[in-house]
Amino acid sequence: MAEVAIIGTAALPVGKHQSPPGSDLQVLEHEVMARLVTEAVTDAGLSKEDVEALVFAQCRPYTLQKYFSTFMAHYLRLPCPGVVMEVLGNGMTGGYAFDRAADEVRLGRAKVALALGINFETAISAAEHANSSMRATGDVDFHTPFGFTPISWYAMDAARYIHDHGSSREALAAVAVKNRAHAALNPIAQFRKPITLADVLGQPQIVSPLGLFEVPPRGDGAVCLVLASEAVAKATGRPYVLIRGRGYHHEGAHQISEIPNDMTAFLAPQTAGAAAYADAGVTAADMDLAEIYAPCTIVEVLASEALGLAPRGRGAQAAVDGETRLGGRIPICTSGGLQSRGHPSYVTPLYSVFELAEQLRGRAGDRQVANARLAVTSCELGNYNAALVHVLEAKS
Amino acid sequence: MSLPILSIARRRAFPPRTSRFTAPFWESLAGGALTTTACARCEKLTFPPKPICPHCWSSDVRWIELSAKGLLYAATVIHAAPAIFSDEAPIPVCVVDLAEGLRIATRLLVNPDAPLPALDTPVEIVVLAYEDGPLFAARPIPAA
Repeated sequence: MAEVAIIGTAALPVGKHQSPPGSDLQVLEHEVMARLVTEAVTDAGLSKEDVEALVFAQCRPYTLQKYFSTFMAHYLRLPCPGVVMEVLGNGMTGGYAFDRAADEVRLGRAKVALALGINFETAISAAEHANSSMRATGDVDFHTPFGFTPISWYAMDAARYIHDHGSSREALAAVAVKNRAHAALNPIAQFRKPITLADVLGQPQIVSPLGLFEVPPRGDGAVCLVLASEAVAKATGRPYVLIRGRGYHHEGAHQISEIPNDMTAFLAPQTAGAAAYADAGVTAADMDLAEIYAPCTIVEVLASEALGLAPRGRGAQAAVDGETRLGGRIPICTSGGLQSRGHPSYVTPLYSVFELAEQLRGRAGDRQVANARLAVTSCELGNYNAALVHVLEAKS
Repeated sequence: MSLPILSIARRRAFPPRTSRFTAPFWESLAGGALTTTACARCEKLTFPPKPICPHCWSSDVRWIELSAKGLLYAATVIHAAPAIFSDEAPIPVCVVDLAEGLRIATRLLVNPDAPLPALDTPVEIVVLAYEDGPLFAARPIPAA
């Protein structure tokens, strides 16, 4: 089994890129994607002929071109002995693309595989989009009729967390302030103007107790990651990032467990995180930074506790105390996270790996974590009912 | 004993589907009873009702009536609602732990502009009789 490395990256700044319907000139997803593929492969120091597999995050239904992966193999004129496919798994979609592309390399089916995708959705209004997304995060016959939205579940996590652990909305809001400060240093972040705690608390409520700055904005984005066997990575003579450990767990529940449990304990990232650390032969205390899929502030808090980066019930306070800020004990979401870097959902986990690849190759500029060697990233399904966790390591 | 039945002068925004199997649930609900299935083999309950027991995968299940009382485990008010629900926003919703040891998610009947009830407050399930069929909701148990 080959060790797998990340050796090249390219990402579109997150923002509004999708053309309104009826525009004279349209931004075409495959043109954007193709440019990123060439940039990422160049960044890796490879050429077209080296690429042997393509694993795409599936596009949103608002992307006109269907069977995007096989269309792109044609558009790029790229014969592949490894798989050409697209994967889907709600917010974990990009994570599955990364994981599946790594498998192609690990199993020796491809020496070089691309994990990539494009998520365009901003031409569709939030309320219209929610008509679809509400059917993804609940039972369509026993939850959706009541009006639950994807983030309403996280809001209930926030309410319970505050109740159980004596936390507060103000403490949770510190996460949004911290993430915006990180985004201010990230050239590909969607929202970069620094904000204060008062700014966060003054926003309109979206799902109480969470306001506009504590939930994810909608955005368009695209990422291409070049994965290769470590032998290929070493031959490039450039710094690379090794996938050091991996863990996955689905708790067998969707949104809530019908058997009452501690909803905010996040069993899946606890289990998947422990597996990933064990696979890597490290512990949470060894991590230099973390990039967590966390649509809302509360989710970053709960996932960071589940991943062992903060003690149970202390994750929000860690943000208040600056422990999770750049320069702190364990910087979390140096990209700006989903609230400020942005959340083009199906490719968001690819943006997480992109950020860690920047950090672990020393390319993160003003937001560089000094001497970053080990990092952890996670992504999820539902109300973190499933988690996919990777531990990454800097190599040079 | 029938649950309170509240008439709602509108149709359901997103009506649940009814199958041959779940029809008794919705019929019982319209009549004022919250029901689900219990496994005849392992005796565990499930919600929503299912034709197989998710715990032991037996298909020997029977209908039971729930007390329809429990504790408010979590709650939120949805201000940014999907387009289908826009005329109902803001929408209070909740997670309730029923006395039988089942966790469900449903509407919460409270003033959306007032502070939400404290968590762990006792709640009861009521029937919402819409023009096109029933749903259910939780509300704090009125003081005796």
